Amino acid sequence: MNQTDFNRRQVMAMMGAAAAAGGFGMPARAQEALKLWAPGIAKVGAQDWSDMEAQSGIGINAIAKSARADESIQKMVVGDGNALYDAMTDNGGGMEDALASQGAIVELDISKIPNWSGILPSYQEGGMSADTIRYEGRVYAVPYISNADSLAFNYDVIGEELTSWEALFDSQFRGRAAMQNDFGPTLTNTAIYLKQSGKGSIDNPSDMTEDEVRQTCEFLIDLKKKGQFRTFWDGVQNGADLLSSEEVLVSSCWEVIQIFAARKNGQDIRYGTMKEGHQSWNNVVMLTRGGQERGMEDAFYSLANVYLSPWFGAQTLAGLGFTPQMEGVQEYVDANPDMFDADTKAIMAERLERKQARRAVAGNSWQNVFPTNIRAYQDWWARVQAA
Amino acid sequence: MADLSSSAGGAVPAGTDKTPWRERLAPWAFRAPLIFMVAFFAIPMAMTVVFSVFERTMFWMEPGFTLFSYENFFFSARLTNFLNSMKYSLISVAICFVFGFPIAVFVRKSIPEVAQHRVVLLFILPFMVSEIIRVFALRPVLQRNGLVNTTLMDLGIIDEPITALLYTHTGVVIGEVLSFLPFIVFSGFLAMEAVPKYIFEVCDDLGVGPWRRFVDVILPLAAPGIFAGSVFIFVNGLGVALLPNILGGAGAVNAGLIATQAITALDFPLAMAVSAIMMATLTTLLWIGHKLFDLTKILTPLS
Repeated sequence: MNQTDFNRRQVMAMMGAAAAAGGFGMPARAQEALKLWAPGIAKVGAQDWSDMEAQSGIGINAIAKSARADESIQKMVVGDGNALYDAMTDNGGGMEDALASQGAIVELDISKIPNWSGILPSYQEGGMSADTIRYEGRVYAVPYISNADSLAFNYDVIGEELTSWEALFDSQFRGRAAMQNDFGPTLTNTAIYLKQSGKGSIDNPSDMTEDEVRQTCEFLIDLKKKGQFRTFWDGVQNGADLLSSEEVLVSSCWEVIQIFAARKNGQDIRYGTMKEGHQSWNNVVMLTRGGQERGMEDAFYSLANVYLSPWFGAQTLAGLGFTPQMEGVQEYVDANPDMFDADTKAIMAERLERKQARRAVAGNSWQNVFPTNIRAYQDWWARVQAA
Repeated sequence: MADLSSSAGGAVPAGTDKTPWRERLAPWAFRAPLIFMVAFFAIPMAMTVVFSVFERTMFWMEPGFTLFSYENFFFSARLTNFLNSMKYSLISVAICFVFGFPIAVFVRKSIPEVAQHRVVLLFILPFMVSEIIRVFALRPVLQRNGLVNTTLMDLGIIDEPITALLYTHTGVVIGEVLSFLPFIVFSGFLAMEAVPKYIFEVCDDLGVGPWRRFVDVILPLAAPGIFAGSVFIFVNGLGVALLPNILGGAGAVNAGLIATQAITALDFPLAMAVSAIMMATLTTLLWIGHKLFDLTKILTPLS
């Protein structure tokens, strides 16, 4: 027996022993790791996916994904995404319709997700968020995070709680205001303000007509020419930097940006509740057609069950400040007193309270990834940029 | 050739049959660059133009012929954005030339020949840091309470922070100059190969002043190299989306960002049209440059 042969046999024996241990001594794992195409925000706990693997009892091979809709469409509809990924995440309320209509994702059997019983009532049939996980009335997606985007403001400098988008467009913050460099959320939030304040004639801020897009953009162009906006932010780091450096005092942004900005220098940067309403969104996880064909359904359902567990909800609320998609998070935190320290628990309670307040505002509009008049959105956004 | 190898198989000693292979491969070695250029330059360019006249569908595009994407570009605010990005790229080129070319001349003229290349290599050092980090690092320097403003205020030179340094076109130009200055130094250094060192001595002997020496002697000789470096900066100014994104004002864009945003909105024919227009612009620019300066001279220096 030569050395190479010996080593090979040793390795084979070790692999056999490991497989046996996996079969008898550890939670049932799919033979292959679930190939999950998802951004980092889809994981909680350890820096890697080990906590998510431990909770779900499956192996996860995570492949980094951006939040860009075009990337998903290119991979899953035009490209080879179904050969590469068993499961994927994206925005609900648009992407699940697009991907299901193209046969890129498959219908889910919710009876295989025990935690489905605890999902937020708004996702049940007839609920206000029900459509964001369904295509033609059938469930294709499981929500794992959501939020209602709002206005972050520097309380230290401003000295008062802001409760209206009026502040973002008010001349007292000229040159110290920012919005997102993306026509979707920026035009939707502006339209919500124009509609609720009576300054614009807008029916549905989520899906505006060409004339409504024109009104909204002309409003922004006028403000831009007056120097209202310091800049439009792009990306979490970029947005957080603007607030923490006091380059801007008010910014229409994601909550995670406010959290990072406040953490950076310890400033009192808050995330308000706007009386006019907010753009709501969620992120969902979906089983790809390729994943189903490769027999990865059980692994997918194990992971989906974790996403709907209060363990995940509590962690995502404490970490990046996303809204849990299930009920019973507070009860779970109370039942596990050692999981978070007192400060974190206080922050979580405050965030939950603010989230519930934002969610209750009547004027909220859902994010629309593919508005009907997307061409008008694009063309008018170019005019805003050129102004 | 195949017949030769097979008939020689029994008679020729082992090893000597390698020569015909080399001979056969030799011409392909010369064709390789051509094949490379066709596969990775000409075909993608042609496909870009073809896709730009396709019909847009909800998620992709389908074969057809429409000039709608071009109409959508030329008769919208995108043209204004494109022309603006050209204007600011040209300003960056001019500033890079003013700061960078004298460095190249200085290195050629005043640094001992053995050390010249080492000095020029120093300008590569910034490229060892990721561009996004380099650009992001400008913010703490240029922002409202950044290094520049704090220093000027501490010195009592200004009372209020200068806000024009960041989130403006000025900020983008500053970023472009700092990012792309080494290119004009490299190309200027190479261009100065065409300017023999004795020219400086001749000019001194004839009593020619520095300005006339620069305008009448150095500039014409080094023009092809300077133009090449300028084109490189101009192209990057038009295409690198990072700079307007991080340093520009509200909605600041360049041509690269216009194309990226079209892709984000799943308007692939428009993105292709923007790319085709960029290619046409730059090809025209190179053609004009070649007519004016004969760019082949870059490869045939005098010294």
